[in-house]
Amino acid sequence: MTMLRVRDLTVRFGGIVALDRVSLDLNRGEILGLIGPNGAGKTTLFNCISGVVRPDTGSIYFDNHSLTYAPVHERARLGVARTFQNLQLWGSMTVEENLIVPMDALGRRNTFSDALYLPFSGYAERASRARARAILHVLDLDPYARTLAGDLPAGIQRRVELARALAMRPRLVLLDEPAAGLDAQETAHLAEVLHAVRQRFHVSMLLVDHDMSLVMRVCDYVYVLDFGKMLAKGEPSAIRNDPKVIAAYLGEESKKLPGDIQTIAAAKKDERPLLEVSKVAAGYGGLEVIRDINLTVRPGEVVACIGANGAGKTTTLRAISGMIHPRAGRVMFAGKDVTGSTAERISKLGLIHIPEGRGLFPNLSVEDTLRLVSNTAGREVDISPAFKLFSRLRERRHQLVGTLSGGEQQMVALARAILSQPRLVMIDEMSQGLAPTVVRQLFEIIRVFRDEGIAVLLVEQFVESALDVADRAYVFEHGTIGLSGPAVELRSDRKLVAGSYLGSAVDAAAIASGNGNGHHADPALMEIVSVRVPAKVKRALEQRAETENRPAGAVVVELLEKVDDQ
Amino acid sequence: MTSRLMFRVLGALVAFALLARIPVGFDVGFKFDAALAVIWAFGLLSLVLLTGYVGQISLCQATFAGVGAYTAGMMVSSVHVDYLVAVIAGVVVAFALGVIVGLPALRLRGITLAIVTLGIALVFDRYIFQDHAFEWFTGGTGGWRVGQATMFGLRMDSSTHLMAAYLVLLALFCLVALLLVNLHESGAGRRFRAIRDSELAAATMGVNLTRYKLLAFGMSAAIAGMGGSFYPLVAGSVSPQPFWLFTSLQFAAIAVLMGVRYVPAAALGGAFMAFVPDVLTRYGHGTFMGHAYEISYDWFQIAVGVLLIVQLIALPDGVWGDLRSRVRHARSAAGAVGGRRVKVA
Repeated sequence: MTMLRVRDLTVRFGGIVALDRVSLDLNRGEILGLIGPNGAGKTTLFNCISGVVRPDTGSIYFDNHSLTYAPVHERARLGVARTFQNLQLWGSMTVEENLIVPMDALGRRNTFSDALYLPFSGYAERASRARARAILHVLDLDPYARTLAGDLPAGIQRRVELARALAMRPRLVLLDEPAAGLDAQETAHLAEVLHAVRQRFHVSMLLVDHDMSLVMRVCDYVYVLDFGKMLAKGEPSAIRNDPKVIAAYLGEESKKLPGDIQTIAAAKKDERPLLEVSKVAAGYGGLEVIRDINLTVRPGEVVACIGANGAGKTTTLRAISGMIHPRAGRVMFAGKDVTGSTAERISKLGLIHIPEGRGLFPNLSVEDTLRLVSNTAGREVDISPAFKLFSRLRERRHQLVGTLSGGEQQMVALARAILSQPRLVMIDEMSQGLAPTVVRQLFEIIRVFRDEGIAVLLVEQFVESALDVADRAYVFEHGTIGLSGPAVELRSDRKLVAGSYLGSAVDAAAIASGNGNGHHADPALMEIVSVRVPAKVKRALEQRAETENRPAGAVVVELLEKVDDQ
Repeated sequence: MTSRLMFRVLGALVAFALLARIPVGFDVGFKFDAALAVIWAFGLLSLVLLTGYVGQISLCQATFAGVGAYTAGMMVSSVHVDYLVAVIAGVVVAFALGVIVGLPALRLRGITLAIVTLGIALVFDRYIFQDHAFEWFTGGTGGWRVGQATMFGLRMDSSTHLMAAYLVLLALFCLVALLLVNLHESGAGRRFRAIRDSELAAATMGVNLTRYKLLAFGMSAAIAGMGGSFYPLVAGSVSPQPFWLFTSLQFAAIAVLMGVRYVPAAALGGAFMAFVPDVLTRYGHGTFMGHAYEISYDWFQIAVGVLLIVQLIALPDGVWGDLRSRVRHARSAAGAVGGRRVKVA
């Protein structure tokens, strides 16, 4: 039976159509996956269902209640809970308190009886506390009950988020990228936890994630979004082999033949590396995002870093350019050890980092932005070469950078980089949010960089285009480098690269064993968690379960399905 | 009654008993200061709830106190009700105004909310407390004169019954403070704190933001108004000056200085606000090494500013908050496990 029914949802942000007549059905008891490349509209759809974004047209129904325009807290009342990708725990409260808030926000207690500490409030308080402990027990979080949520490492905070969502007694849990920042092992554990949660709490789930291995492991059914449209739907195994889906993730298969590139790569092979990264680990707060990264760039070489979102590409660039400090390992640039050096000092050595979002000043004109280079270079720099390279910028030299289109802004960033005559430019997600024609233009510029003898380290989501322009490439997987080699080889082995994106490494055995629950559960605590059924019904169920020799839960599910069918 | 609640009640009673004795030997001036200290402490307590618990910024708490004061003054002078009724009226009117001020807070946060509440404080200061159109409310340029009033049917004279007014005020303060400490640990308090830490998550987990934000503003205004409504009784009259814009700013500054998340810090701040300027003007002149000097009220403002900067660097959790955690730390380091650990909010 359909629990969540999304029909013809359309969302526009300004002139951009983020979602275009998208429909989706989620059945009771199902774990539904929603995937798609960056900018496909997954988050927009997720936010419509959770109430953060209001759709322009279309409808969302949850168990015959219209959710389309319901306020956020009303959705909670109806039984829709969610987790947040960018952890939104209440950091100054203990983990236990984090769980109690949603429990009694939905209860009948009021502010004045609480302040007066009336007996009723005290009773409700104790009941909430016991239930919180039980939920923490299922998710293997008992030792953290009294810790402030803000003090926990990010991986555990993710599990607490899930626990808090369950504390609402939801019927549907929306999971926003629960595997973001987890390594392969933690992701596998998360898959187990999600199966255990479905069994014990009788909830359905909608899972949005980039991490395909998780989606493939836990989801019963998968929808794929691309450019705001529903591209495909089906069982995980079918989705993984769907050529349309692979194309959406990796870009169109290129027909260009590699001629000269191969020879350049061969010629560079013996040169001394310009950038040498060895065994680097880095992260944020309690979370280690990358570990054991080994990577080299030779002078005048174009190197691409590809891999799924959250695999650690951006963090690697940040660790190299000094925006964050590496926790281990060594970064050598132009023969100098720059590990842990400041970003300013590293850029003086000739390493330019164009971050995601381009790092421009929106209220400066194009010309002023380029003139700033003189300032950082410490000498007068002629800006006319930049206009020769990008004739479009010459026309807009007096326009404010913030008013330019995304592609033009990227041109400004590239022009600024080239003016400072660097030895290595690192570009993070150059093509993000840009139309394919613009992207093609920008990749032409990368060739100009190479001709000028400037080395380039690219982080790119359009894999095919990146491999077209690059000499060599590294494929990131879960914070380490999985594959590496000449771009030509990687491109010819399309299947291999697709595997790192779509998680073909997940074997069938792992999927089958994912249903088991790893840790031992205390039956007394389990009792509190399970659904309250009238005693008579419970006895009948137990009897039936005993005669048929299978778990009571299975009998209940079967009966519920029968009721649903009727 | 749990043991923790008993401990809190006991704490409130002890605080009352200790503080009640303090002004006994004082002259009239300091007795007035003592009563004023409790009135300001109510204003600071209102910020403990609004800013410390719920994370909302308000720069018009003195306006709420002023509205309470004028309402009480009007009720006593023109309707001649018992002073207790006047206080209740002041609290109710302040609560209503607080809910209205809370409406923009549903959409705004941070600096914009601060500016809006500052504007409200300015409007009340200039165009209501000092405007002829509202003489029925403010009692004209002279303000309401409340030389005599009755409370519980007993005569309360502002000049001779300062001690009695102080005791009533103090008892009410201890009660409200106790309720706020209870609230912090309770369900509603957790919902408030959830809004402070992440509004988005709070709404998603079923907390009705509209209701709880308005409730917080209303309750906070009511607390400030409760203190303010005693002002006519203590001072004998009401004038716009104590409730002008600058008092609101001072509330915010001193609340942060003392520790905006802690109930006892409000009492500390109230005493600071009432006594320090008076002590300065009384004893702050003389000769030092042959030079005559005079420390005026202006010096107090500067001192608050300097102290605030020092505190933000050295004691980021406020004077009370940081000293408390330091004492605790020292105690646990010494290995002395002195009974149960009790959180004083």
